[in-house]
Amino acid sequence: MRDNTLKYLLVLPAVFVVFATAIWPLIESLRLSFTVGRLNRPGSLDQYLGWENFTWAFSQEPAFWNSVWVTAIYTVLTVALTTLFALGLAMLLAPGGKFRSGVQTLLILPFAMSPALIGVSFRFMFNPEFGLFDAFFGVMIPPLADVSWLADPVLAFAVCVMADVWGWIPFLTLVLIGGLASVPQDTIEAAQVDGASGWRVFKDVTLPQLAPVLAVVIILKSIFSLKTFDQIFMLTNGGPGTATQTLSHYIYFNGMKYGQIGYAASVAWLMVIPMIFLTYAYAKFVFRKD
Amino acid sequence: MTGKQKKQITSAIQTILILIAIFIMLVPILWIFMAAFKSHVDVYQLKLFFTPTFENFGLVFDAPYYLGDKLLNSTIIAFVTVLFAIPIATMAAYSFSRFRLRGETAMLVVILATQFVPAVVIILPFFVMFRDVGLLDTRLGLILVNLAIVMPFAIWMIKGFIDGIPMDTEEAAMVDGSSRIQVILNIVLPMAAPGLLTAGIFCFIIAWNEFLFALILTNKDAVTLPIGLALFKAEEGDLWNLLSAAGIIIMLPMFVLALIIRKYFVQGMTMGAVR
Amino acid sequence: MAEVSLKNLTKRWGDFIGVDNQSLEIHDREFLVLLGPSGCGKTTTMRMIAGLEDPTDGEIWIGDRMVNDDLPKDRDVAMVFQNYGLYPHMTIFDNIAYPLRVRGTPKSEIEPRVKKAAEQVELTEFLHRKPKALSGGQRQRVALARAIVRTPKVFLMDEPLSNLDAKLRVTMRAELKHLSRALKITTIYVTHDQIEAMTLADRVAVMKNGIIQQLGTPDEIYNDPANLFVAGFIGSPAMNLINGSVQDGHFVTTGGTKLVPVSAPDRPDVVLGVRADDMRVSEEGQGGIDVRIYAFENTGEATLLTVQWGKQRVIAKGDRHLRKDQDDMVSITLDPDHLYLFDPETGNRIKS
Repeated sequence: MRDNTLKYLLVLPAVFVVFATAIWPLIESLRLSFTVGRLNRPGSLDQYLGWENFTWAFSQEPAFWNSVWVTAIYTVLTVALTTLFALGLAMLLAPGGKFRSGVQTLLILPFAMSPALIGVSFRFMFNPEFGLFDAFFGVMIPPLADVSWLADPVLAFAVCVMADVWGWIPFLTLVLIGGLASVPQDTIEAAQVDGASGWRVFKDVTLPQLAPVLAVVIILKSIFSLKTFDQIFMLTNGGPGTATQTLSHYIYFNGMKYGQIGYAASVAWLMVIPMIFLTYAYAKFVFRKD
Repeated sequence: MTGKQKKQITSAIQTILILIAIFIMLVPILWIFMAAFKSHVDVYQLKLFFTPTFENFGLVFDAPYYLGDKLLNSTIIAFVTVLFAIPIATMAAYSFSRFRLRGETAMLVVILATQFVPAVVIILPFFVMFRDVGLLDTRLGLILVNLAIVMPFAIWMIKGFIDGIPMDTEEAAMVDGSSRIQVILNIVLPMAAPGLLTAGIFCFIIAWNEFLFALILTNKDAVTLPIGLALFKAEEGDLWNLLSAAGIIIMLPMFVLALIIRKYFVQGMTMGAVR
Repeated sequence: MAEVSLKNLTKRWGDFIGVDNQSLEIHDREFLVLLGPSGCGKTTTMRMIAGLEDPTDGEIWIGDRMVNDDLPKDRDVAMVFQNYGLYPHMTIFDNIAYPLRVRGTPKSEIEPRVKKAAEQVELTEFLHRKPKALSGGQRQRVALARAIVRTPKVFLMDEPLSNLDAKLRVTMRAELKHLSRALKITTIYVTHDQIEAMTLADRVAVMKNGIIQQLGTPDEIYNDPANLFVAGFIGSPAMNLINGSVQDGHFVTTGGTKLVPVSAPDRPDVVLGVRADDMRVSEEGQGGIDVRIYAFENTGEATLLTVQWGKQRVIAKGDRHLRKDQDDMVSITLDPDHLYLFDPETGNRIKS
């Protein structure tokens, strides 16, 4: 068989799978977002509603705006904190050697842990009666013992952010270590010989050369932060009240618990829009010319 | 202070910081490990020192939890997902890597982008469709939707591995008398084998840890391990010792798999964006 | 065994022209070297002959068959790649046997033929190792053995020695020459190394920008270069090229120095080419033109004098016992029998 035929035959199954499992549901979601779309009402999935789902979300639903804000603050905080801590840890671990590469290997463990399980683990640790923090504070700072961490809106949100940051630091650290390794050592040595202090070397030489990797890391983490669901579901289930209800959680609740699948689809599509920008930015890095 | 002393102090501070980082990284994992081996009484008394017991691991497999069923579901679903994904992805990855196709960049961007589509968007239409065709709460249904999240990773990751195989070798085989198919079977597949294994393990971990799809699509027969965690919420609160034992059953195999492919883990997640 | 002929062969990628409408006849059993700088189209030409690249235009004939539409496997050629292209997952034996196996050679025949090929390149003791366990030179031999295990119509060699270190390259060059004389198979060899070209070739085709500049024996391209490019590319150190004019039967530099008699009609612009070997160095005031030494280098086997000649610098080769220092004055005499004149516009040689 000629290569010209073969090369298209080879990609055909994959293109079909991607189309059927990702493109079709995206388009179908878009269609649903313009319908009445009640799960318990037959026929409503084809009942055209116009823009009403969208206007409803914007004008009639404080819970929607709440989840937008929760997601936005959550994303900003987790991206900033994870990136900062990961950069610091990467700088500490980058020099290599037996001890440090051993630690690098250890870093893979939290990342292989399912997000749902991370949620469970943190819920357990912050249990007010027999959690780790309860025990810890009980000894160290008695006034903080018996605090109901997950019952307080602000503290619960903080715990969610903490769990997310904990789960993502290892991965970002490993990526940044890879980025640091690709910064040519001789540029750093040249700066040292030229008389720059450690901080100046980092600021003037390392950081600018690390910028593309850092950008990729921030884009990727933003995407994953925006989508957050698993941990939140297991850790607080959006609560207390709706204090930790992210957009994904809000969509899940409206679509699955209330059966308003048309409305859920329209909010889901609102969520796709920032994703498109982030994906575009990410694709630019992947396809950049060296 | 001499330069040497300064260096020693810096290095000591660094070591301390690294040790603190390790501690923070490991505490939540160790906390689960400890609870899993505690008896019911010990968990609720916050003992740091206790007599380890295996009874929790027995309990989770018994009535009413039957975690064994969930373990079987998770294993079958993750395994079959990989079994479908890797051959399909390998074919496509080879073509993307070695040929110029019409619309190649567009296809690659779309495949890349599908990875970032929020799962909650994809799952709504699938729920409706599966309800109509009777695929709700079936392993097959979960396998199909898992392909959505696994395929983009697999294609990009394997493409990366094939890009790394020197063109020379393939061309030598062609001049030596191989057809394209023979080149793929005799030369490319054996050389890419470690990469295919890595991609397979990577996809297995993703499918195994998948949560949202299983939460929405299953309720009884096809429930997977992560969803099974919800079983251990009783009227009187969470059954932490059982929850922890189940958690270990979920994470331990993934730890082992992740350590096998640790060199490629980062590469897989960033799909060539970071070199 | 076969002739190879290229008829009006062209390769374009978009606007970029790799090979520009070139024709070339390679005789049966000839060792032809395609020589040129990187990007000159030599490798592209070879890859088109192998079938790894489709020509945009023109025909490729191997023997009496037009092979344009044949897959590489059907062209009956063997190729040695720059990075060897060994199969890392196979033993050396399996590597060498692969071309036979994939063509369905009977099992009983494979072993003796692999052993014989291995013997010819002195690899017999490594047959059960994997390529990873071999040194660069040994891997190179495996690639050779894989090519000679069959008797193809044509050997194609793409910079086969360029990945070896300098010393090994010289040894392998001699082995390659010995082998090619013994096998007597049409060979096309691509290199950017003029010494490889000079030592190995029956004929050399010098290429630049997708065009063959000159086709000839090593003697011809060294002693009778067709244009400025060939003159400058062949020889080490490179031929000195001096700008000037021809006046009254003499070459006069742009600085106005009357240098040497030449047998060419007067013209305002001309480039004089002279090799370092063809200049005699003597003490100041002894007949030639007195010049100041810019740099003096002793290579052990000879001395190289870079001298300032008006605005230009020229390299002359001196006796190996000569000792001079920077800024010393010496006298240079050109050998009037070994001078080349070129048209600076077209680059073509001006023959008297």
